[in-house]
Amino acid sequence: MANVERAQSSVKKNVKALAGKYLTFDLGKEEYCIGILKVREIIGLMEITAVPHTPRYIKGVINLRGSVIPVLDLRSKFDMEAKEYTERTCIIVVEVQGETETVLVGMIVDSVSEVLNIVEAEIEPPPTFGGDAVETDNFLGMAKIKGRVKILLDTDKVIGETGLGHMANVAA
Amino acid sequence: MVGAEQSVNGLLDDMAVKIMMIEPGDLSAVGELLEVLEKLIAHEDMSSLAFLQQMACAFQAALQDLIMAELPDTAESYQQLAECISRMQEVRRKSDDHHAVIAFCNHLNSIGCKLDPARLVAGQQDESGQDDNQDDNNDPDFLRDKELLECFIDEAGEYLGVIEANVLELEKAPGNSEAINAIFRAFHTIKGTAGSVSLPEISSLAHAVENLLDEVRSGRISMDAEVIELVLAVDDSLKLMVAHAQDVYENGVAYHPAAIDGQLALISSVLEKKCGNSRPSPDEAVTPAKVPDVDVPPPAPPAGGGMPDFMKDSDLLSGFISEAFEHLESIELNVLELEQNPNDQDIINNIFRPFHTIKGVSGFLNLMTINRLAHATENLLDDVRNGKLAMNSGIIDIVLGVGDFLRTMIQNLSDVLEKGLEYYRQYHINDFLARIKICQEGSEAGQEEEPVPVAGRPAQETPSSPRPADNVAAAAPFVPAVKTVEAGAAAAGPTQKKNIEAAIKVDINKLDGLVNAVGELVIMQAMVRHNPLIAGLSDPKLNKDFSQLTRITTELQKTAMSMRMVPIRQTFQKMTRLVRDLSKKTGKLVNLVMDGEETEIDRNMVDSIYDPLVHMIRNSVDHGVQVPDERLKRGKPEAGTVRLSAYQKGGNIIIEIADDGEGVNTEKIRSKALERGLIQAGGSYSDHEINNLIFLPGFSTADKITDVSGRGVGMDVVKKGVEKLRGRVDLQSTPGEGSLFLIHLPLTLAIIDGIVVGVGSERYIIPTIAIRESMRPKMENYNTVQGKGETLLVRDSLLPIIRLYHVFGVAEACTDIGQGIAVVVENEGRQRALLVDELLGKQEVVIKSLGGYMKDIKGVAGGTILGDGRVGLILDLAGLISVSEEMGPGHFNRSNAIQE
Repeated sequence: MANVERAQSSVKKNVKALAGKYLTFDLGKEEYCIGILKVREIIGLMEITAVPHTPRYIKGVINLRGSVIPVLDLRSKFDMEAKEYTERTCIIVVEVQGETETVLVGMIVDSVSEVLNIVEAEIEPPPTFGGDAVETDNFLGMAKIKGRVKILLDTDKVIGETGLGHMANVAA
Repeated sequence: MVGAEQSVNGLLDDMAVKIMMIEPGDLSAVGELLEVLEKLIAHEDMSSLAFLQQMACAFQAALQDLIMAELPDTAESYQQLAECISRMQEVRRKSDDHHAVIAFCNHLNSIGCKLDPARLVAGQQDESGQDDNQDDNNDPDFLRDKELLECFIDEAGEYLGVIEANVLELEKAPGNSEAINAIFRAFHTIKGTAGSVSLPEISSLAHAVENLLDEVRSGRISMDAEVIELVLAVDDSLKLMVAHAQDVYENGVAYHPAAIDGQLALISSVLEKKCGNSRPSPDEAVTPAKVPDVDVPPPAPPAGGGMPDFMKDSDLLSGFISEAFEHLESIELNVLELEQNPNDQDIINNIFRPFHTIKGVSGFLNLMTINRLAHATENLLDDVRNGKLAMNSGIIDIVLGVGDFLRTMIQNLSDVLEKGLEYYRQYHINDFLARIKICQEGSEAGQEEEPVPVAGRPAQETPSSPRPADNVAAAAPFVPAVKTVEAGAAAAGPTQKKNIEAAIKVDINKLDGLVNAVGELVIMQAMVRHNPLIAGLSDPKLNKDFSQLTRITTELQKTAMSMRMVPIRQTFQKMTRLVRDLSKKTGKLVNLVMDGEETEIDRNMVDSIYDPLVHMIRNSVDHGVQVPDERLKRGKPEAGTVRLSAYQKGGNIIIEIADDGEGVNTEKIRSKALERGLIQAGGSYSDHEINNLIFLPGFSTADKITDVSGRGVGMDVVKKGVEKLRGRVDLQSTPGEGSLFLIHLPLTLAIIDGIVVGVGSERYIIPTIAIRESMRPKMENYNTVQGKGETLLVRDSLLPIIRLYHVFGVAEACTDIGQGIAVVVENEGRQRALLVDELLGKQEVVIKSLGGYMKDIKGVAGGTILGDGRVGLILDLAGLISVSEEMGPGHFNRSNAIQE
């Protein structure tokens, strides 16, 4: 029990550090947020070159003004139902910690909505769900704003797990 | 007081004996010495020996510092202190011996004792007189080393400019600590270098200002108008003094040491006024002028205590690291050259200088371990320079060893800088210090015909004429017969006049950024031009403008690319050391001849080409070149020759490694290959083909071919390394006459020649270097083999077919063998027929990493931006072949395969 308490208090501490500006976007009916400092830019959907022998949710690579960056489909990553890309579909280019330096990765989302300032009081630690159905590790917490719940995404985890971590495991 | 009866001479002798007995750490012995010294200072005769009195006081201060642990308590310190006593004895014998005084100051300074002017008793008017005497002698000291002086004049001008600019900056923003630091650094450097070129006035003036600025820096006095005025005034007079020195040097004008007393007085009065009595009143016209070799590390805690404070200024540190690497490289080169010409003063100076710089800067950064090691080596070299020591292989080994060790330490620093403090390591340099000391002492003891400098005889009595015969005799048996012959121009002599072209250092990231941007520009231009709207226009003006634009962008791209190219010289020169060490170890005589060192290769290739080169040179020396006796028996010159050359041919850089040794034993390789089933008995293979089998992985090392024929170690490493650079390696050998390795490398790593192929809607690039041919397969050549998949008969060989769409899982590709194109590719000797839909053209593409975590995907070497702005994947054939083998046959749809 003591462990749980300790874990909760550490989560509370983390929650404090989470307050700040977030970019929100939609995936189906859910709303997600990522720290604005992680976001490099938002671009419209462009032609993606498929790369063989990669996980299903890795859509391939794109040409971001001369550099080649990988793009993943967040719906597919979260095992959500696939949806046709529309003109609102876009790629959020985020900066994540790679092996030695930060790398850019694109995430395909349904649509981008707004930039929000989320304060500490609005944030709660992520709930735990039974089983493996939901990987709560991917989330920093939940924010309740005007009766709507927004999920704070940990990009380093989501991309790190799919990318570096995953591939490294395969290699090992 | 028994001492009162003792004469001054007796006291000095007593001290000389005592200091010899002191062991490091024995503070009570130091106390005894101090007692005698105090008697000396109090001695009644001393009042008439003002000069000696002054020295004694300085010495006393040094001893006190030592006891307070402000000076390193090492054998080296005591040695220097013993020297000081010797100097005092000299002064006692000949009271106006100013050389001895200078030497005295040097010794004290060299152990890190900050010879504060205030510590020496003031008011020695006769001293400045002494200075003048000295300078009236023939040529001024500083003309002795012209190159050093030239360097100094250049640098000093630059630094003085920096000072002026920063002072003016300070005037606007008095609190700008960066500017103060910049000024401080510049003065510090001027002080140091002026000291080493024997311009004591400049050095002491700079030193005084440095002291002043140190107070400013530490916040004890403020940078007000008065101080700024003063610094500017000093700046101006230093400029005049440097200009005068230049005049003397260039036009042979008589040298007049400038009167600096006025300014020194001004500085110290400002210091006094502003800091009150926080410092003992520094008196002006005193000893700083007597300190030619000032290089005082800032008062610092001794090495090793607590958190290293060199981390405070990481910019400075990283500058130091990169500079130090350069210096170490130049040291190594010069040492190797020195081996050939042990008496060349210029070369010794060339080695001395970088050590001096490393010493100075490391001291400044509080890197005391490096500082001490560099300093000890500098002392050693100084002895060599002054003719006190003869250059021999022992010294050369020490200097090389120190160079290597310093490199390790500095590498560690750079790790610390990158990864954090926990990587910091303390290195133990006592071994080296001891070796250096032994070297200094040993040779002094061993050469009886020379005056022994330590024992109290004046240093300047050392015969200034070097003894070339002796030196050569001493050195010759040890000098391995490595001779670096720079073919062509360099024959003129070992010290070429530096011909420095104006160049700037640029951050490599910026350069890469530029290259990337230019690459994009080229692509964008193509996209605009092929835009259907524009392509539809047929305006002659537009066409003309477009071709003009193309010309400019191409030119721009070429220039940008060329900026990444560096001469291969550095890489080649590292081989000199390797050959030296190898020949020493194997007892062979080897001449290394280098050719075409100015050939430029991509900067990113420099590191990767080093390993293969080392392996090949090692092979050539170790196994190729025979031992001298063997060579003589065969009617070859005693010394073997290894020729390393580089040149550009077509779109490739070619590096040749040739030796005139044994050559490859083709028969041995043939029998080994037969044994391993690599070739078929009775098959017709040329010697050339057989010889190149040594590059096959695992062929060489495991089979001990080296024991018999003398070739093969590490050859697969060479081949892998070269192939990684998208090059290839080839061996030509004539039995008994030698062998020749040819390495073909692409001009640059960033660009690759490729064939663009289409598979379904995807585009892939196959490196041209791997493509043998391509054809539309004929069905009569197509076979399936039970359990072994599909093959295609091409020129009498059966090649396995790889269906690219299948391996890469591309939908909607052409699956009919007869409708596709078979591209025959080769990788590591394996040929495959790659089935693609169509060939789209040949293109030079800029290689891009797929970014972060996609770099290890099998079968994909990277990406590139194609003409239409899309990303195309570049195939990695080694990976592709292994993936296709893993996937195995039977996955392809047999019903699709044959559609007749």
